[in-house]
Amino acid sequence: MAGFIFKRLLQAIFVVLAVTLIVAFAIRLSGDPAIMLMGGGNVTEKDLENIRQALGLNRPFLVQYLSFLEGILTGDFGKSFMGGTPVSMLIARALPATLLLAFASLITSIILSVPLGIYAAVNRGRWPDQLIRILSLVGLSFPNFWLAIMLVLLFSIVLGVLPPSGMEGPESFIMPALTMAVILTATNVRLVRTSMLETLSQQYIMVARSKGLRDRVVLYKHALRNSAIPLVTYIGLQFGGLIGGIVIVERVFNWPGMGTLAFDAISNRDYPVLQGTITVLALFIVLINLLVDIAYGLIDPRIRTE
Amino acid sequence: MKFSTTLKALGLTAAVALAPLMASKAQAAGTLTFAVAIDPGSWDPIDTFLVNWSSAANNIFDGLTARGADMKLKPGLATSWELLDNNSRIRFKLRQNVKFHNGEPFNAAAVKFTFDRLLGDEGKKGPQQSNYTSIDRVEVVDDNTVDFIMKQPDPVLLTKLAGYGAMIVPPKYIQEKGDAHFNMNPVGTGPFKFVEYSPKVSLTLEAFPEHWGGAPKLDKVVARFISEANTQVAELQAGRIDIATLIPFGLAPTVEKSPNLSLLSITGPTVVSLRLNTKDGITKDVNVRKALIMGIDRDAIIKAVLLGHGKPIASFQSELSFGNDPAMKPLPFDLAKAKQMLQQANVPAGAPVRIDFRGNDATFREVAQAAAGFLQALGLKPALQPHEPPVLLNDIIPNGKTGEAWHQAWGGWTFDYDNTAYLMYHSGEKWNPYDNDPTLNALLEKQRTIYDVKEREKVLQEVARYVADKALEIPLYNQNTIFGVNKRVKNFDAPADSRFRFTETTVE
Amino acid sequence: MAAAQAMSSARRHFRSLELVLGVLLAGGMTLAVLFSGLLFPDGGESMDLMARLTPPFQSLAHPLGTDPLGRDVLARVIVGGKISLTVGVFSVLGAVTLGTFIGLVAGYYRGITEILLMRFADIQLALPFILLAIMFLAILGTGVDKIIFFMIVAQWVQYARLVRGSVLSLRDREFILSARAIGVGNGRIILTHILPNVLGPIIILMTLQVANNILLESSLTFLGLGVDPLIPSWGGMLADGRTYLQTAWWVSVFPGLAIMFTVLGLNLLGDWLRDLLDPTGQTSK
Repeated sequence: MAGFIFKRLLQAIFVVLAVTLIVAFAIRLSGDPAIMLMGGGNVTEKDLENIRQALGLNRPFLVQYLSFLEGILTGDFGKSFMGGTPVSMLIARALPATLLLAFASLITSIILSVPLGIYAAVNRGRWPDQLIRILSLVGLSFPNFWLAIMLVLLFSIVLGVLPPSGMEGPESFIMPALTMAVILTATNVRLVRTSMLETLSQQYIMVARSKGLRDRVVLYKHALRNSAIPLVTYIGLQFGGLIGGIVIVERVFNWPGMGTLAFDAISNRDYPVLQGTITVLALFIVLINLLVDIAYGLIDPRIRTE
Repeated sequence: MKFSTTLKALGLTAAVALAPLMASKAQAAGTLTFAVAIDPGSWDPIDTFLVNWSSAANNIFDGLTARGADMKLKPGLATSWELLDNNSRIRFKLRQNVKFHNGEPFNAAAVKFTFDRLLGDEGKKGPQQSNYTSIDRVEVVDDNTVDFIMKQPDPVLLTKLAGYGAMIVPPKYIQEKGDAHFNMNPVGTGPFKFVEYSPKVSLTLEAFPEHWGGAPKLDKVVARFISEANTQVAELQAGRIDIATLIPFGLAPTVEKSPNLSLLSITGPTVVSLRLNTKDGITKDVNVRKALIMGIDRDAIIKAVLLGHGKPIASFQSELSFGNDPAMKPLPFDLAKAKQMLQQANVPAGAPVRIDFRGNDATFREVAQAAAGFLQALGLKPALQPHEPPVLLNDIIPNGKTGEAWHQAWGGWTFDYDNTAYLMYHSGEKWNPYDNDPTLNALLEKQRTIYDVKEREKVLQEVARYVADKALEIPLYNQNTIFGVNKRVKNFDAPADSRFRFTETTVE
Repeated sequence: MAAAQAMSSARRHFRSLELVLGVLLAGGMTLAVLFSGLLFPDGGESMDLMARLTPPFQSLAHPLGTDPLGRDVLARVIVGGKISLTVGVFSVLGAVTLGTFIGLVAGYYRGITEILLMRFADIQLALPFILLAIMFLAILGTGVDKIIFFMIVAQWVQYARLVRGSVLSLRDREFILSARAIGVGNGRIILTHILPNVLGPIIILMTLQVANNILLESSLTFLGLGVDPLIPSWGGMLADGRTYLQTAWWVSVFPGLAIMFTVLGLNLLGDWLRDLLDPTGQTSK
């Protein structure tokens, strides 16, 4: 087991390194931050050279990249090109916002999909099952920015009950989390339904039922517990996708998270902020995938040998 | 189960992190909340060129001169000034008994420190230095008098001293705390002092009662950073911000109709044109360029797309701009004549006209489509190429990779045609990838040496007429600056340059 | 026994409901889009600034109203499907071709190809898609071809992984071993024995991915990275119409519905295919 974890850890480090290298390289292909900083003003080549010098951009790419890596190892992500705010401070503010939103989305999705999935499984093939499956697909069938704008129109402008943007209190989580959750729910409902169906057909459930235990007790106590493992691992995997896909939702809701930070950093060609945010996001995704892998490895030893 | 413990740990983190987020709401008594599109990242005057910086920071800092909502220049931290030594020396008398928010006195040394810093190594790292290179140095005459020694004449300098890089900063504070600290904890002499800055979220200021211009009437001002126009309007409608600075034209009627909101639409600095490629394509021919101008009904675009929130322009400046000639009229819309001119120039039907534009500019997306509709009516084949703004500004335009036309929006806060015209038409400038016209170069250089207001105005007007004659661009419109304002806000004098100053403003 | 039979017939009924709905929605939209040239010869580009924002259901000339530039919403919705479907279909075809090839090679021969593939897949999983798209389009410039190219580059790995997995489970099976024993070449084994067996999951993933990429195209347009706004596209109409939601809902609601119907149809078909071809649910991502 230790060998397996060690091997996985090495792979994870490799992945994060590769990601940082790709991002550092690609962003440098896409434009010069010096010009972005100068705006449209009176710029001469000498002004630009001054700024590049100040930002350390006239060093060779590998030197810049290695000093970035060195910074990461010592916990120093550098300073934003836009105003010189330390990147670590920006990330320290943005990461909790994104993680909280991601969690809120996952939890909302679980709250929606577990009862629906169970209900569908119990009514397998009958109309509630059909309705739930088709409706959950509807949620997957429009762009999330569209749903977000519609929610804002309804809840903030027409009804005036929820704040249209920002992260200010529990109520400001409702719309962004719901927007993300609707998409997750489509797959989660299916997952719960399938694993419930599998569990329900297993022997001990039949026995429990035949012993006269009430349906609901059987369902929630035995079946749910057993379908939890695939659900949790799958949700772990979703977490990565969730973080990656959160950019647009953060933008519509003006959420002060990692997506907004990275998006602005690309627009400004703010290399340190972009490299910092993507590295941290990649670390999170890799870490969670690693945990899922290890969890799998613990549950099912066959996977370790792969 | 490793997973559940992880979940628990993260849940705990969540709870801890949530607590400080239960922040206060807008609409508190005596607090005005307004939205700006971009967080400038630093509040140091020498670090940015963004209007968004000024919308907030104009309340924290003062310049030697000042400009009110009427766009007229008036005394600021300097009470008077005079030109000496054949215009090579400008002497400023400074206001006395002024203090920075941290108690530090404002004096000649502070002015000298500010400009030494701007023109020195620290200024080199930012975009503001290049706007003030006409200044050679600042000399202290006595505690309340400074001399600006000029390297070259700069007729726009007095206006430039009213904002941005020329805002006066506290020497002792910066020397003690360092530049990095100052970026995020600004101190000035303005009517509001800094309280808190939360990157990407908000900036909070509170009244500075000892301000030399009198105590502000508001207790607190909060700037929130909201980059999506629709989100700003939603926040305004929900009553959570008092002033929205980004109103898409399509939403202007919604704001107008709302009973507790009002729409302010004023002439601002923003002008929009389609610059033309004079080197390649059908636009090489000056007559074709004129035909394109005449073929696009700019009035109809202003009416239908801008919903009337704009004015036609004859040159690339607003009517507020120094150098604008009210007698100059744009070429009229005349489809038949335009068609005829194209025919005479032997332009084949279906000739391509590609327009490169900023993909994230929702208003211009519509304008560009309307303009393309007119080009289609001329028998041409227009194509619209959206770009990510940095790509358009860094690569496509300066490197001359545009199609026949490209989108140029401009809004110099100085309201002086000099800067615009020089950057757009002087050879070798970044915004002028195609032309090298000695006549135009000479005119542009000449006006930079003239202090006589009337004479310089004449030269600038000559530049504008020359450019129109060569049809270097299709001047589209001067777009209004529009704000959505909650009716609880009183005495808000909307400035055309979006540099707010909330001294007299109150909220109910 | 009777209960089980009833259940299975109910299931079959349900499957066919998904099939019917899916075919009606996705097929209907596709047909309309394919014949849009006949229905609207102007390509939805005719402009009439004086007739801007005409509400829907009021005139036969503009049954679904007009947009802010006075163009017919119905024409643009139908013609606009071209871009969305082109992006959706071609990006998936490209990704599936590349991914299947690499997946087959990696799964069958293993070795260095497989190691590279798996590490590449790990990297791709850790890169946020939208951010990557913005950088990519900033470097290459925008356009339908570039969007398709990006999607292929970003998505082939999914197919490669799927195919590799299937190949791994097949390659030591008896019928492959016996084919090899009688001297059938590797290329032939892959083509005649392995490929047909991995086709099911691939088709399911393809259907779902077409739906997904239609939505992605609209998101990229929303972020200002879309295609020429003169050419109608659903994403572009949605993005442009969001400003008019409160005053002229029809500008963006109809393209929204068009996307929804098409994507829902494809998703229903994908779901139906999954039940049909892959009852164990391997492909639920």
